[in-house]
Amino acid sequence: MASVRLQGITKQYEDNPVIKGIDLDIADGEFVVLVGPSGCGKSTLLRIVAGLEDVSSGTVEIGGRICNDVEPAKRGIAMVFQSYALYPHMTVAENMGFALKLAGVPRTEIGERVARAAEILQIGHLLERRPKALSGGQRQRVAIGRAIVRKPEVFLFDEPLSNLDAALRGQTRVELARLHRELGATMIYVTHDQVEAMTLGQKIVVFNGGRIEQAGTPLELYERPANRFVAGFLGSPRMNFLPGALAGEEGHAANVRLPGGTTVSVAADATRAAPGASVTLGVRPEHLRVEGREASGGIPATVALVEYLGDATIVYAQVDGVPEMLALKCRPDGACPERGETVMLAFDPGHGHLFDADGAALPRAPVVK
Amino acid sequence: MKARSSLAWSVIGAVTALLLAVLWVAPLLWAASTALRPEHETVSAVFHWLPQTWTVEAFAKVLGAGRVGRWLFNSALVALLVTVVTMALSLSAAYAFSQMRFRGRNLLFAVTMLAFLVPFEALLVPLFRIMNQLGLINSYAGIVLPQVVAPVVIYVFKQFFDTVPADFREAAVMDGAGPLRILWSVYLPVSGNIVWAMAIVTFIAAWNNFLWPFIIVTENDMMTIPLGLTQTYDAYGVIYAQLMAAALIGALPVALAYVLFQRRVTHGFLAATGLKG
Repeated sequence: MASVRLQGITKQYEDNPVIKGIDLDIADGEFVVLVGPSGCGKSTLLRIVAGLEDVSSGTVEIGGRICNDVEPAKRGIAMVFQSYALYPHMTVAENMGFALKLAGVPRTEIGERVARAAEILQIGHLLERRPKALSGGQRQRVAIGRAIVRKPEVFLFDEPLSNLDAALRGQTRVELARLHRELGATMIYVTHDQVEAMTLGQKIVVFNGGRIEQAGTPLELYERPANRFVAGFLGSPRMNFLPGALAGEEGHAANVRLPGGTTVSVAADATRAAPGASVTLGVRPEHLRVEGREASGGIPATVALVEYLGDATIVYAQVDGVPEMLALKCRPDGACPERGETVMLAFDPGHGHLFDADGAALPRAPVVK
Repeated sequence: MKARSSLAWSVIGAVTALLLAVLWVAPLLWAASTALRPEHETVSAVFHWLPQTWTVEAFAKVLGAGRVGRWLFNSALVALLVTVVTMALSLSAAYAFSQMRFRGRNLLFAVTMLAFLVPFEALLVPLFRIMNQLGLINSYAGIVLPQVVAPVVIYVFKQFFDTVPADFREAAVMDGAGPLRILWSVYLPVSGNIVWAMAIVTFIAAWNNFLWPFIIVTENDMMTIPLGLTQTYDAYGVIYAQLMAAALIGALPVALAYVLFQRRVTHGFLAATGLKG
């Protein structure tokens, strides 16, 4: 297996910069997920690692070897495409063994390696079929099998689950995680689905506009987002944002005045911001709770919509002066307000996030008891 | 009312199709009718649709003369060589224009397409001079080479290759295949019907080509079948029964090829137009 190091990577198509300077270290055997909205450059970066795109500047290092001018087939990598890219005129076995055949591997060894990969993926009974006779999930397994037989040092996945239905996606996510454990290979996985990112990645790299917004473990990114973009990108429903102004500090907490005059306390170090400065308060839906109508210090809101999801209920509430509705998650066993009800919303100071006018997160402070 | 109108249109359509079919098949039937009668009947002043005396004498004479066999062989060899070389060149060029990125690609493609505007007749003299300088008069190479440049075939292949998902090529690159290998192992198999369609059309065109062999060939033994047909005369002029017999024998392989590959050709053209793969 191999580590991957990207240094100063830029990519420009004529006058259009797509990657604007990426530095990223991926450890040997690590499962890294590149996540971001469409057009953010994550797939382009994957293709640069694969060798399907040249860099405009910077170096791609795989297993300690600079690979900028190394052909894709000689980089020790294998890629699973979003469309699977299975050759339609070849059987599953031929598809899986094609790279080995080109590399001049003896036929008997090709057969053994294909059979071994088929066994791992439980597709042994499909080997003589052609891709058109396979379901989406089976094609996806074959595409992974085609990568496995090459025994690559690094696996690259370009949104491999996006063509599967929701149930199959969940099942395949589990299988990919198992595969990573079994093979112990370095894996780089591109997706725009934050659920895939959170569940699969040992490290998540959040992309936006050709730059890395933040890289870290799923929990780090979820609990300590570096900026408003990352905070809003991870989590479903996404984090609630409320505009406000810094009203002062009190111990380890910053007081924020919200539209409507309510002041709330957030465990954040606001020393770098001046009193009165514009800030954005962020609270995740699962951290908002409904207080009694008479409770003090809460955020007054009117329930506009209630969504019953079975395992949870999502309540959308409108706060005066806040353009977007706030979402909060109720447990099915908990009391949920009804549509049209006026409620007071509250959260623990330790669960609030503050972002300055540029969107950067203010440092978290110890939780106020 | 609507059903009656629809029926009327169906009848009109069927009758029109029938008339066109008769119009198309009439010369062929007339050729067969002429070939199957004695020579003196072909110049009879009294017109008969069918032979008064049925005979295969004309076929026997044509085949017995020994030349038709040679002309058929020449036609087959030339048509096959033209087809194989045209396919190889056109597929390679189309792949390069469609999938490879190189400086001057668009200009080169535009220049290739400009060849559409130049009729082959305008190139006869320069081509003849080149072939003469290369010493290729009365040779197979001389007959074949000018026929293998086919911009229309390049265009059709390029248009189809443009529709093949780029992931196939990239997957093959990741698998370690070079451009020729990708063309041979990936693009060629997925464009099977179009290749067949273009190959059959090229084969028929090469088989039927009269003008260029007429210019480049002067020796009887190097003639192709269309050229050889002009040789079926005697001291009194054209021998019609033998001419028609030779024409039918010459047309038979082409007709057979089309009938055998008709389905592939139809599918190929549909795929090329994007109507159906």
